[in-house]
Amino acid sequence: MDSLITAAARALATGDALGALKRVALRDDAPALALRGIAMAQLGDLVRAKALLKSAARAFGPREAMARARCVVAEAEIALVSRDLTWPTKALEAARKVLEAHGDRVNAAHARNVELRRLVLVGRLDEAERALETLDPTPLPPAARAAHELVVAGIAIRRLQTKAARAALDRARQAAREAGMPVLTAEVENAARVLSAPVARLISRWRESPLLLEEVEELLGSGTLVVDACRHVVRDDQLSVSLATRPVLFTLARTLAEAWPADVARGTLIARAFRGKHADESHRARLRVEIGRLRAELRALAEVSATKRGFALSPRRAGETAVLAPLVEGQHGAVLAFLADGEAWSSSALAIALGASPRTVQRALDSLAEEGKVQSFGRGRARRWMSPPLPGFPTILLLPGPLPSD
Amino acid sequence: MKKSAATIIREYGPFPGAERVNGVTFDGEHVWFASGDRLNALDPASGEVVRSIEVASHAGTAFDGEFLYQIAEDVIHKIDPKTGRIVSTIPAPGNGGDSGLAWAEGSLWVGQHRGRRIHQIDPETGKILRTIESNRVVTGVTWVDGQLWHGTWEGDDSDVRRIDPETGEVLERLDMPEGTGVSGLESDGGDCFFCGGGGSGKIRAVRRPGVGPGPAKRE
Repeated sequence: MDSLITAAARALATGDALGALKRVALRDDAPALALRGIAMAQLGDLVRAKALLKSAARAFGPREAMARARCVVAEAEIALVSRDLTWPTKALEAARKVLEAHGDRVNAAHARNVELRRLVLVGRLDEAERALETLDPTPLPPAARAAHELVVAGIAIRRLQTKAARAALDRARQAAREAGMPVLTAEVENAARVLSAPVARLISRWRESPLLLEEVEELLGSGTLVVDACRHVVRDDQLSVSLATRPVLFTLARTLAEAWPADVARGTLIARAFRGKHADESHRARLRVEIGRLRAELRALAEVSATKRGFALSPRRAGETAVLAPLVEGQHGAVLAFLADGEAWSSSALAIALGASPRTVQRALDSLAEEGKVQSFGRGRARRWMSPPLPGFPTILLLPGPLPSD
Repeated sequence: MKKSAATIIREYGPFPGAERVNGVTFDGEHVWFASGDRLNALDPASGEVVRSIEVASHAGTAFDGEFLYQIAEDVIHKIDPKTGRIVSTIPAPGNGGDSGLAWAEGSLWVGQHRGRRIHQIDPETGKILRTIESNRVVTGVTWVDGQLWHGTWEGDDSDVRRIDPETGEVLERLDMPEGTGVSGLESDGGDCFFCGGGGSGKIRAVRRPGVGPGPAKRE
């Protein structure tokens, strides 16, 4: 490492990105490019940062595999934070292995964290959990440990394990304090807010009330028969039946559950399930058929019985019945749930995250935009979508040290 | 070319408050090392840092018998070790790409890292008198017994090598163990080199071959 690079790296390490840039702004050798890339990322110019890191990775010599790997990790982290999920994950994995082989444990762990955050973001929780088991955060520096605990908390939140989430957030808070980084502390507080804000609504006997994450967890473990409109399943504490591909049956189940223990008139069921205004004989016949199908699906969970004016639901084991509904209703709830992380998403990244086709996602975005629930900026491939910020995924940038020879 | 594995005699550090070793020199009694914002005097017998001077210190360090020289950003400061004052400043020949410094024969010798060369400069004006090309990055320079040695460090590979001062030809090479890099180089005048260890924060004493066994003689 030469003199100005050392001076610039020192400036960068103390958060003085402009000081670092000033020292290497006119240099195009590999370490200078890497430092400029990291500095630009810290200044928020992610597009320029990405281009600089890419050229730095190319410019490092064949003996400098470690420096190149660090550039790749930084590039991947920038891609993650800018929600560019099309970024090649294989390159990141290869870079992590290079860092591991060279004994750079801190940056290897950082690379692992970036991989994990991507898995959590795209909802591949099982894979994320398996990867977590191979990583011991104890020897990591505080900032990396905080980022790691945010991932653990993110998984626990999505698994509805509020106790584990709270514990991970406490550890993240402690580590962020040790790191002395206000941005990181703010990030943890932001993530923690999800535990103290309503995440869903409970509908029972036609009345509704907001639920905290903890209350959702309690509800699902309480033995109540829950018609879960967030995941389109019907469940009690022993069994779960998915109606995700049967929207009519799900609407019937939900309507019956909302009224429980009262029954629901045929006309109401027909209006909700078939969107028909008047119940004629053909509608009544179709309702009978669909109720028969619902009865078969829910056999093990509940009974659907005919009453004088319509139908009623009675759970087999559970003492109570309730509906768990998302905060925002509508077909595009899943899209909104991802956009709720407050980041700018491309429609192709959303398609990857949702496992849906780009066309489907585009249609959902268009209609949400018409309702004023989302907004877009940029054009063509650079177009990004956002919704008003809500608590969600960690967005911190904790780029690895880019330099060779140390 | 003679080639052998470097023998590490002793390791010093890492030292509290000094994350890196950017350059080393020897004043006959203490090993001075540059740690970024300070020059530290290490007693090689006890391994203790006995004194520090607050000065920017980003790369090579040298001693001319009276003054210390220290590369900071793109200049070389001349420092009075008694007072810690900067007495004069000259431009560094590599415009900040400089990484090693040695004093010999009335000149300063400055390694230019990625430029893969060593400049001989006038210590009063900074004027380049001569340039020796190397084929590896230069991370430290020292003269001992009329021999010119320099350190290299690229990725995993690091060594200390003696080169012909006229042609730049490599005459002898001591390979450092894997994962051990040389970020600064100074001879103690005897059979020992002091090697800065970059981000490891360590200083390593490495045996100079062909001088005979036993500890260095102190005058």
